[in-house]
Amino acid sequence: MKTDHELIREFQDGNKASFDELVKRHLPDTYGFFIKFTADKVEAEDLVQDVFIKMFKALKKFRFESEFKTYLFRANVNMSNTYLRRNKWRNLLHLDQAPEQGYMDTSYEDEWRKKELWDGVAKLPSRQRMVVTMRIAQEMPYKEISHIMGISENSAKVNYHHAVKALKEKLQN
Amino acid sequence: MNIEQRFQQISQSNFETPDGDSFIAKLHGERQKRHVKKMGIINGVTAAAFVAVFGLMTTNQLTDDPAAYASNDLKPLEIMDSETEEYVYDLAEYLVENSDDIWETLAFLDNIEFEPVTTMHEGGIQ
Repeated sequence: MKTDHELIREFQDGNKASFDELVKRHLPDTYGFFIKFTADKVEAEDLVQDVFIKMFKALKKFRFESEFKTYLFRANVNMSNTYLRRNKWRNLLHLDQAPEQGYMDTSYEDEWRKKELWDGVAKLPSRQRMVVTMRIAQEMPYKEISHIMGISENSAKVNYHHAVKALKEKLQN
Repeated sequence: MNIEQRFQQISQSNFETPDGDSFIAKLHGERQKRHVKKMGIINGVTAAAFVAVFGLMTTNQLTDDPAAYASNDLKPLEIMDSETEEYVYDLAEYLVENSDDIWETLAFLDNIEFEPVTTMHEGGIQ
């Protein structure tokens, strides 16, 4: 089986089928990340599509300085930040559609808390938001998070700690 | 249950990954669509920029002095063919030679801006 870097080299040489293979290989992880984030199949698929369209352009200039998985994950986190910003405005404009707390069945309550959780994540400072996204949505170890973000493992832990504290307060309220 | 587990439980979703082949087909379709749209925008902006630059260059060539346009517009009328020119000169000579009052005739030629008279006034009568 060819490595990611080999596929990217072939793609850079003009072989589009290599790009398709790369997409197929990373589709489950990327889709898994966004479905947890959005809880909406259509929106998750749109976000995955946006990421890979950007990749199609970006990979032509890929310099093989990092693993493709790391590169892709950074793109996912950036895309999720864009989504959160966009959704913040959308939620503000559709406040009347938010469900009333106290009149919910259990599954509805789960959805409501999920929405609350990601709303809380959206309000976190950028670094905390990225760390917590990787921990919650991808269950990533701190070592990998620190590698992706280019920070120390301790810094990742501290950021996560602050983020969780803020989210806990929000959810308990 | 710690807070992290609780978060994971909240964010837990059961999902089925979309079919790879149909996803790729849709991906390339969307990519092509965006590319065409992007090229349309680039072409539109380029055309608008060309029109703007061309318009600016044309406007810069205009002047505020209406006399400049008048002199340009009337220029062709000042050019006479040789036959008319000869006739006008002969007529002027006849008027000068046969007039009772030469100064009145010269003043008349000056009034109609007959060129040799203007030259005479500037350089003196020879």
